[in-house]
Amino acid sequence: MSNSLELPSYLEKSAAVSERFKKLHRRPVKLKVEDLSKKFETPKGELVALNQINLEIHRREFITVIGPSGCGKTTLIRILAGLDFPTSGKVKLEGKKMEGPGAERGMVFQDYTLFPWLSVKKNVMFGLEIKGLGSQKAEAEAMEWLEIVGLAKFAEAYPGQLSGGMKQRVAIARSLANRPEILFLDEPFGALDAQTRASMQAYLLKIWQNVDVTVLFVTHDLDEAVYLSDRILVLRANPGEIDELIEVPVPRPRDPGQFLTPEFLATKKRLEELIRPPELAQNEEIPMIRLTEVGDEVE
Amino acid sequence: MIKKKAKNKDHWFSIRKELPPARRTLLTACSFFLPLLVWITVSYVPFIWHPDIKLQLSADRVGVTTVFTAGDRMSKDFFPTFVEAVRQENRTTLDAQKKGKPLSGSRRDNIKKLRHLSPVGVANGWLENNQRQDDEKLFEIWKGLAEETLTSKAISLSKENLEIIKDNWRALSKATPTFNSKLYPTEALLKLIPQGVSSNPVYLPAPHEVIAAGWLDFNTQPDNGMPTMWERYRHSLSIIFWGFAYSCLLGIPLAILCGSFDFFSKLHEPFVDFFRYMPAPTFSVLFVAFLGTSDAPKIMLVFVGTFFQLVLVIANTTRLLENSLLEAAQTLGANRRQLLARVILPGILPNLYNDLRILLGWAWTWLVIAELIGEKTGLTGFIDTQGTRYNFDRVFPVIILIGLTGFFTDRLLFWLRNLFFPWTEDARQAPKGPLTRFVLSFRDRTAYFKKSDS
Ligand SMILES: Nc1ncnc2c1ncn2[C@@H]1O[C@H](COP(=O)(O)OP(=O)(O)OP(=O)(O)O)[C@@H](O)[C@H]1O
Ligand SMILES: [Mg+2]
Repeated sequence: MSNSLELPSYLEKSAAVSERFKKLHRRPVKLKVEDLSKKFETPKGELVALNQINLEIHRREFITVIGPSGCGKTTLIRILAGLDFPTSGKVKLEGKKMEGPGAERGMVFQDYTLFPWLSVKKNVMFGLEIKGLGSQKAEAEAMEWLEIVGLAKFAEAYPGQLSGGMKQRVAIARSLANRPEILFLDEPFGALDAQTRASMQAYLLKIWQNVDVTVLFVTHDLDEAVYLSDRILVLRANPGEIDELIEVPVPRPRDPGQFLTPEFLATKKRLEELIRPPELAQNEEIPMIRLTEVGDEVE
Repeated sequence: MIKKKAKNKDHWFSIRKELPPARRTLLTACSFFLPLLVWITVSYVPFIWHPDIKLQLSADRVGVTTVFTAGDRMSKDFFPTFVEAVRQENRTTLDAQKKGKPLSGSRRDNIKKLRHLSPVGVANGWLENNQRQDDEKLFEIWKGLAEETLTSKAISLSKENLEIIKDNWRALSKATPTFNSKLYPTEALLKLIPQGVSSNPVYLPAPHEVIAAGWLDFNTQPDNGMPTMWERYRHSLSIIFWGFAYSCLLGIPLAILCGSFDFFSKLHEPFVDFFRYMPAPTFSVLFVAFLGTSDAPKIMLVFVGTFFQLVLVIANTTRLLENSLLEAAQTLGANRRQLLARVILPGILPNLYNDLRILLGWAWTWLVIAELIGEKTGLTGFIDTQGTRYNFDRVFPVIILIGLTGFFTDRLLFWLRNLFFPWTEDARQAPKGPLTRFVLSFRDRTAYFKKSDS
């Protein structure tokens, strides 16, 4: 790891990146969150999962939500998708107040929610058929989307026959086929192994580059957050509040080679500072616990 | 270390480890064969159980009005007492003869005593079954046995009895050398000593008896206009079918509504849950009262017996469908109706099918009760009649038939499940035999050549 003293500030952006953010902020606001709060009634009393969240997401922006476990990421994304209701506050999609779920807000869940009784192709056709598209047209469109996520070969397979990564690609294709205004992804790659995860990130970036869609992405993985996003929303727990909204200074188009660039590392370091619990940060000396009596030179 | 591992693999008893296929097949065969073997052993090896004596000759004794006919059973404890009592009677008769003052009996009593030999006649084929009281034929048999022109092969008569036959014949032939029942002696004849073979109680007939009785019952047209066994079988099947069909027709939609909408769940389920505890048979009188004595109350009983369970079980199955699938469908734009038709219904179908399979098994239990209410009909009606007559050899084939029917429908439905729902985990992992692959090939032409997909 490079010495932190050598890193630039994560706030410093190159001219090109600054220009890109200027353009981004000029784009119309896709989703607007106003004073959003969510309280849960628990046996131990009221739990404030989200407190006074205000946020504007611009068209074709890739925004990532990150934060310690239990800070309300899932709660936030579910409310935005209409699957949960806020205790107070509003969610506006292009200025219209939203209530309940709808096809214009797509969602990809962590636990691959494909319909196991439908073939991969039929899964992708689901939203299209529901919209009333004829089955021939729906099929043609579904095949196009499967082509984009690289799974046309598996069109007739059942989800149960696919690996986790493939399932998640189908789920993304299924959501995108619906042409949503905004796509929510809640830790979509959380259950995948590191390699699959890396290739899925590449897939997602490629899709996002080729498709005009706004993305709100939840993850635990700092690298993933920096690698994919335009902006990163850092939440803090108890109560769930916005800690910081970071504009990622890493230029686009992104590629895995950027993981070690100073901007990337600086952003990641900032995220670590924000998220890592302070008690673990201090390096306390703990005597090593010996499991066997022998080998005393081992450290 | 390595050796030990190899040994472990060969172990018959390893926790949560599947045995190799050959062993599994062997054990499956044993699971059926062992009980059969127990039955055969208990039936044919005399010293294992056999607590009874099965009489080969008819017998009675003084002061007791019941006549034991051949085939009746007597406990081994009581048999010697009984034999001794008959011997004692004979001794009294003989003593009186010796003293020159023969006991006088009635002709009727003597005719009865002579008829005690009729099972020997029937067993040896000298008499037809309906000629047991044909005294003229019996007269010839007594004569033949006494003069040793006839020998009983089917039942070997004891020396004691052969002596008695000779003694009786002497008295009989002195009175009337040719048959004339009016000339039968009036002095008391000797009684045949009860003879029998060691046997199991009447409620445990031997396999061959069961097979023979079953073969006969299923291949003969009963007289007095009773239905044949196959008609009875069809009748039973039709009752279970209609009872269960109505149950499904009303129960499944209601259950799915209950499992999907809290409204219906709260409106119906508490009552259903309560009603389920009232045993269906207790309503049978009621059913007969308002539906008459035809099949209707029987169908109603199967219906009531299965309906309430079905609603609760399937409502629960519906609730077990992963909520995330419903949420995913909602984010794809599905409305309520589409959620029901396109997500809930297809999503629960394999489990629903399985539930129905299990419930169908219960329906057989209700059928047995249903057939006994009102007019006794069907297979159970037959079991009931024969059971009260102690014809257990005729009861067992029917019980076995019911068992086999239930078992094979269940296996068939189980097999079909994998064909209907090829996408389920079970179906993917199930070994596919040639038949399965053949049937699957209609859907996917390459399926026949795939052994099973990994
Ligand atoms: N239905 C609910 N009832 C009560 N409390 C809830 C409910 N859902 C979430 N919570 C609480 O709200 C808080 C936020 O939960 P949430 O699932 O949104 O966190 P998260 O950031 O997604 O966590 P993770 O990173 O582990 O997924 C947690 O403390 C959780 O226990
Ligand atoms: Mg979460």
